[in-house]
Order: sequence, then structure tokens, then C-alpha cells
Amino acid sequence: MGALLDIKGLRKQFGGVTALAGVDLAVDEGEILGVVGPNGSGKTTLFNSVTGVHKPTAGTVSWRGRDITGIPANAVSRAGIAYTFQQAMAFPGLSVFENVQIATEHCSNALANFPWTTPASLLEFVGLSGLSEEKAGILPFGRLRLLGLALALATRPSLILLDEPAAGLNDRETKTLVHLVEQFPEHGISVCVIDHDMKLMQMLCRRLAVLDFGSKIADGPTADVLNDPKVLEVYLGGAL
Amino acid sequence: MPVSNSFRSLLPVLLLLVLLALVPLLSPSNRFLSLAISAGINVIALYGLSVLFGQTGILSMGHAALVGIGAYTAAILARDFNIGFWLSIPLAGIMAAIVAALIGIPSLRVSGHHFVIMTFAFGQLLSIILTNGGDYTGAASGLDVQQPVSLFGLSIDVLTHYYLMVVFFVALSAIASWAIINSRYGRTLRAIRENEKLAASLGINVGRHKIGAFIVSGVFAGASGVLLAYFLRHISPSQFSSFPSIYLALMVMIGGARLLLGPLAGGILVAFLPELLNLDPVQSRILYGVCLIAVILLLPNGLIAGIIAGWHRIFDRRPAQPSEPAVEREGK
Repeated sequence: MGALLDIKGLRKQFGGVTALAGVDLAVDEGEILGVVGPNGSGKTTLFNSVTGVHKPTAGTVSWRGRDITGIPANAVSRAGIAYTFQQAMAFPGLSVFENVQIATEHCSNALANFPWTTPASLLEFVGLSGLSEEKAGILPFGRLRLLGLALALATRPSLILLDEPAAGLNDRETKTLVHLVEQFPEHGISVCVIDHDMKLMQMLCRRLAVLDFGSKIADGPTADVLNDPKVLEVYLGGAL
Repeated sequence: MPVSNSFRSLLPVLLLLVLLALVPLLSPSNRFLSLAISAGINVIALYGLSVLFGQTGILSMGHAALVGIGAYTAAILARDFNIGFWLSIPLAGIMAAIVAALIGIPSLRVSGHHFVIMTFAFGQLLSIILTNGGDYTGAASGLDVQQPVSLFGLSIDVLTHYYLMVVFFVALSAIASWAIINSRYGRTLRAIRENEKLAASLGINVGRHKIGAFIVSGVFAGASGVLLAYFLRHISPSQFSSFPSIYLALMVMIGGARLLLGPLAGGILVAFLPELLNLDPVQSRILYGVCLIAVILLLPNGLIAGIIAGWHRIFDRRPAQPSEPAVEREGK
């Protein structure tokens, strides 16, 4: 069976700078895949090139066997791929409820047995029910991340791309996040996550891919990748 | 959100308009009624501008041009096709919407300041076209509108009647604007205003909705143009050039674009302030400039939001939270 999302030879140049130098990556149905790599290794560019924020310079992205290379962001969402941003996670001037309401209203994906179809159920799932009348702009950072997660879920995706979901979170908030994300596969949502936090990655992902200078240097079961001498050298140093 | 809750924002506007509809009982002067009618005609366009600027976050500096499209459509329909006031309103609305789409589709490919410059350029372009349109547009001297306005056989050309009709149309546009703000469509526009990138990632077609908001604001502008043409009975290109456009933008900023009372307050204030203070046109331009700077610096969400925030600060002793957000964020 083919992969859910299949990225082949994806390149992205910004002028003379090569951010992605031909990356192959496949996300399988029902898995939580981690993508790690040092700053500037092209992780976010990879996500941006898949989700229509940037147009890739070369290479293909296929989704359930269909070519979706370079389609606009709103079409990516409608295809069933959700994306949480590192920054800009919510609509700051609108209430928490309105944030989620907008996201559910624009969802056109019909997933059978999807548990979170209403704003209230989404807010309950991420634990923000008590704050639904507050302005998103006044939420503390950790809560804002959870709201971002609720917005992505509201589009009823089959795949969620999480860009550094634990950045700026404390240990307890990270645990909450892990607890939520772990539940996604059983509801038919695959996950691809970028983060620097190796503890988080070990908790979440059974498979890891490692990027360095825009190229993939390792891809496999988390434990193997973390012991790969090449990976230890370029990325982890002696940190682990 | 329950309807009863959102209805609370419409109620003060309607109450105020009912009071304004009673003004003729005080037998005001003709000059006062004329000023009030001009203000009301502006307010109709402002309600459209509030959808564009307040909800979607797009500023148009050429909006008087769309009012002009409405006015010239009404004048030409009356002259060439003998089509009167009532039918002109929807037709001019449609015409202004079409023109808004024609400007919007290329202009909204660029965003922010570039769009403001594009709308400004368009406004200038329209007055050049109207000035050089020969007999068809009446060139620099403009066109006369001679058709009488009547409703069920009652002549509305009496100033008091025209005033009441304008109040009615202001109420209609306030209700339309309120319905948009509280609809799914309004929420979509606000999402675009708050965070375009996130909106797109949630499946919203940002470009199409921005053009849509511009078209919607065009309908209001077109209708307001018809009322203007039939009120003044004579229209000319200079009425729809850059200065009137800037005034419209000024009014919506002074009143506040996001609250339903904002356009009403802005339109009335800008029309009556020079009159109250007995200023000549040059002085009033200076006053408008000072007002604009003061509002931008002190009340970035406009007068009404500022008053509400002040009220809460004094009487509630809790942090001010007007029903629309505090400082607008520039970073996108």
C-alpha cells in the first residue's frame, strides 16, 4: 500500500540559498512521524512547501496517490492536511469560541466517526472550555498552542503537520500535548511533527527522520536513528 | 452566538435612528436638514466601508469613486432610459459591485499599503474618465438629474420627506451590515483580518473573500450614490475624486469601523462638527487632520470604542473590554 503523504525529491530555493536539497519523505497511515534537525536544516520549509505556504522549486508531493504539488494553502486544508504554525496560532482579536467556530465552519472534509465536530467538543478535548468567551490574544502561550491544535483538528484532517508544538511549553504543558496527540492515530489522524525537544520526540514518535542542510540523513525507528553515528555527529552532539 | 445576544449591538443604532427620524417634529432649519441628509448618505457608504475595513481589514482610499459610479448610473439611467429612483437603487448597486469586482480582482493580488494606493489611483482615474467623457458624462460640468422621486404617489422631493427616506436607508444599511457581521461570512472576513495565513490553512479562500468584501462594500456605495444624485440633482466629477474618498476613510476611522455605532457617529460628527464650531472650509480641513491624528494616536478603534472603554474604566472598575479588540496588530 502506498504512503498517505509521499514527498519525492522536494527542492526549495530562496534565491541562491537552497533550503531543501531534494528530500524524500513518506508518512504512512496511522503513524506519528517525527522530523528533527538543527536550526536551518529545512524542517519548517519542508512543511511550508507541502502546505502551500511556499511553492516548491522542484519535486513532487502526492497525497493518497494524487499529485498535490504547489496547490494553494486552502486547497491543502480541504484535501485533509492540517498545519499548526510555530507562531501565529490563532486569531488574536476574536474569542476562543469564535476561533474554533470559524475553523469548523470551513471544514468540508467528511470523516466517519470523527469525534470532534463541534466547537464545544473541540474546546473540551483540548481543555479550553472554560475560556471560550476570552479573546484568544490574551491567552498564555501554552493555552494558545492548544487552541492552535483545536483549530487544526477542526478541519477534520487525515494528517496533521505540527511545527514545533512544544516550543515555549513547560513540562506539564508538554505532557498534556503529548497526551492529546497520542490519541490522534486511533481516530484516523496521522501525524508528522517537527521539534527540537528530543524528549518529546521519543515520547511521541516510533519513527524519526533527520534533516541536515536541506537533506535527509537518516530515517527509521526512533531508537536506531538516535544511535546513528551520523545523526549524533551533526545534530545531537553530546546532548543526549 | 445566540441571536438575542448579537441583537444587542443593533438595538442602540435602531433606537438612535428612531430618535433621528423624530427630528423633523422640532421643525429644524432647511440647512440643518440638508446637512443631515448629506451625513446620512455618507453613513450608508460608511456601513459598506465598515465591512471592508472594520471586518476584513482592507482600507479603500478610492471609495468615493464607487459612490460616483452609483450616482452617474442613476443620472444616466434617468436620462437615457427614463428609469427612476427606486429601480436605480438596485441597478446602481449592481453596477458599483461590478466595478468593485473589476478593480478588486487585480488590486487585491497586492495587499496592505499597495492596495490602498491602487484604490487611490482608481479614484483619480474615474474622475479623469468622467471629466473626459464628453456629452455622455457631461464632462467637467457633470449631469443633471430631473426625475421626481415619489412613493405611493407621495412626493419625496420635500426636504423633510427626503430626510426620512435617508434615515430609512441608513437603518437598512445598518441592519445589512449587522447581518453580515454576525453571519458565517462575517466571521470568515474577521478571520482574514486577524491572520491571513492561518485563515488559508483552515481552508478559507482568502483572495476570493477579500474581493467579495470589496464587492459588498461597493453595493452600499452604489446605493448611497443614487441617494446623493437625487438629493443634489446635479453631480460632477470633483464630488467623487480623492478628497471625498479621504473624507470617507476619515469618517470610518473617527467613528470606528468595527462597532455598529461607529459609521453613524463618524458620519454625523464629520458633517456637523465644522457647523457647530462655525469653521470655514480651510479651517475644517485642518480640524479633520488634527482629529484624524488624535484618533489614530489615542483611540485606534475609533470614538465609539474609546467611549465604551472609558465608560468601563470609570464605572466598572475592571479592565476595559469593548466588544471588539483593543489595538490592531500590524504584523501579518
